Amino acid sequence: MSTRRRRSSGGVAYPDAEGTLRERTVQALADDTLRGNLATAAASWGESRDAMRRDHGLDAMRERAREIRRRNIRDLPALLSEMQAKVREAGGTVVRAQDGAEATRYITGLARARGVTVVAKSKSMATEEIKLNESLTDAGIEVVETDLGEWILQLAGEHPSHIIAPAVHLNRGQVAALFREEAGTDDVPDDREGLVAHARVRLREKFAQAGMGVSGVNLGVASTGTVCIVENEGNARLVTSQPRIHVAVMGMERVVADWDEAAHILQVLPMAAIGQDAANYVNLITGPRREGEVDGPEEFHLVIVDGGRGALRGTEFEEALSCIRCGACLYSCPMWKSVGGQAYGSPYSGPIGAVITPLLEGPASPSSRDLPFMSSLCGSCGEACPVGIPLQNLLVRARARASSPATRRSAVAFRAWSRLWRRPATYRAWMAGWRLMLRARGKGGWVRRLPGPGAGWTQVRDMPSRWPPRP
Amino acid sequence: MSHPLVDDLVASLGRRKASAQVVTAADAARAAARAMGDAGVARAVLADDPLVRDLKLHEALRREGIEALVWPTALSKREMLGLEGPEDSCGVTVPRTAVAERGTLVLEASPGHGRGIDVTNRHHVALLPAGRIVRTLGEALAQAFADGHPAPSAVSLVSGPSRSSDIEKISTLGAHGALSEHVVIIT
Repeated sequence: MSTRRRRSSGGVAYPDAEGTLRERTVQALADDTLRGNLATAAASWGESRDAMRRDHGLDAMRERAREIRRRNIRDLPALLSEMQAKVREAGGTVVRAQDGAEATRYITGLARARGVTVVAKSKSMATEEIKLNESLTDAGIEVVETDLGEWILQLAGEHPSHIIAPAVHLNRGQVAALFREEAGTDDVPDDREGLVAHARVRLREKFAQAGMGVSGVNLGVASTGTVCIVENEGNARLVTSQPRIHVAVMGMERVVADWDEAAHILQVLPMAAIGQDAANYVNLITGPRREGEVDGPEEFHLVIVDGGRGALRGTEFEEALSCIRCGACLYSCPMWKSVGGQAYGSPYSGPIGAVITPLLEGPASPSSRDLPFMSSLCGSCGEACPVGIPLQNLLVRARARASSPATRRSAVAFRAWSRLWRRPATYRAWMAGWRLMLRARGKGGWVRRLPGPGAGWTQVRDMPSRWPPRP
Repeated sequence: MSHPLVDDLVASLGRRKASAQVVTAADAARAAARAMGDAGVARAVLADDPLVRDLKLHEALRREGIEALVWPTALSKREMLGLEGPEDSCGVTVPRTAVAERGTLVLEASPGHGRGIDVTNRHHVALLPAGRIVRTLGEALAQAFADGHPAPSAVSLVSGPSRSSDIEKISTLGAHGALSEHVVIIT
């Protein structure tokens, strides 16, 4: 299978993302199909989510969700210790990985040691983050994404564009073409039902072969050592029940204290993510199969990944750890709706991705430094967030962190500008100069081209030469 | 006799694209077998549960001409996954509880109740005594994970047939798990 995915360099952002953030954004903006697909997806999400607010009081549930997650992050070390102890009590293995490399080394080593040749995966952002597929593939192990959207992207050699709906930017015709190529036959139906049925059979063949299943974790419940995996298709249940080994990869912040908290978050998650009051399948797994049980994995391994999360506790970015990865901030973001997730060049796109990618990568990373600027700061993300993360504030803080000392020249310019505008006299002189200049350049009431630094601005916009514009 | 929790569950299941019927214990086996017959089911995989035995589901299935296998079956993995043998199979489960306001069935794995029964087969029929219905997910989870008991190795919350919206954001049934879900509520 040809793929554009390449080996990891250890960061969160995709090492193979082509071009700069600006180039990818411009390219995405020029893609009419992509923008059409994104608009359809965001609109249908908006409608369903509004129904949840109306019929199920999603807004009222938000305050409690926020409290739960804030408390979880505060108590994180204790919750993780309890989680670890309970999983071990249930017969599972727990590994705490400091970074992605440590996690992939463990999982790949385990697969090799057990003679696994095929790994079946269900959708997991954490494994995208640690670049597990690349690591397993390098070890000669076949990795199959079994979530329909993820499988489509795997066939296309692309990265996911949305946390919940990864292939949201491709249409049916594009999917049919990929399936024909994979199956090596033209005998693939064109209709949606037919495509889904085709994928079902092809992927069941993989489930029959897989020696290891790898899943993510939506929530860990410390009091019983249970991992919760939320899905709609049923592939995660197959991943966690058919292969002999189940490896669950969990970001260290995804843990709640008990079932009372879990019940609340498990209801908020699908409402915010897909505008439904329940996901079709929620798999609650505590250790491997028990004595006398004939299906389910014989081995259960929980890999808990720090990857820079622990260091965020106690900082001005701590609230970002509350995230339950629902994707609501993506669908609500005018920036994401215009360019999609792939432009961000990170598994985490949209407002939350723009905040956490650079945080997890470290401030010096050139691949993600500019991400916090992918926002108009309109605040719709903070409004959409079901756990009340003030994303717009975090974006501003992330910008401040990225701007110094990386762009000292602009800091000098801003300081000079601020000195000019602070005094009424110099401010008025500045504005008078502008008015004269605009009137001098205006033709028919509009300025179509500005010189110097203004040129970029007028490339795609016109400006009235006086305000208010003449009728 | 109508009960508010039963009515709510039936309504919620409808929203989840599952079907439901309310019957007495005497009619339950026949109703379940009839539903499977109508769906063209050739083989049923039954949870080994006292309720299934008490209802004499095997006999009702035999009358419908449906092969009945009891968990754990002797089927190979490929047969379990429907890659060999009859395509139209049905998993029969006995939920521990069901959530009225969400249309959610709570299935607990045990030696007699394999965790894949509902999801590997093409259809899913659940036999649910009405007394097991609770209102909220919180109540159902509190029962499944009660203090003082070891947590079950796997609890599956099932809310309607398998579904994917990954192609053009339009919901399509039968992605990986069951294409249909029918709940026989026994009063």
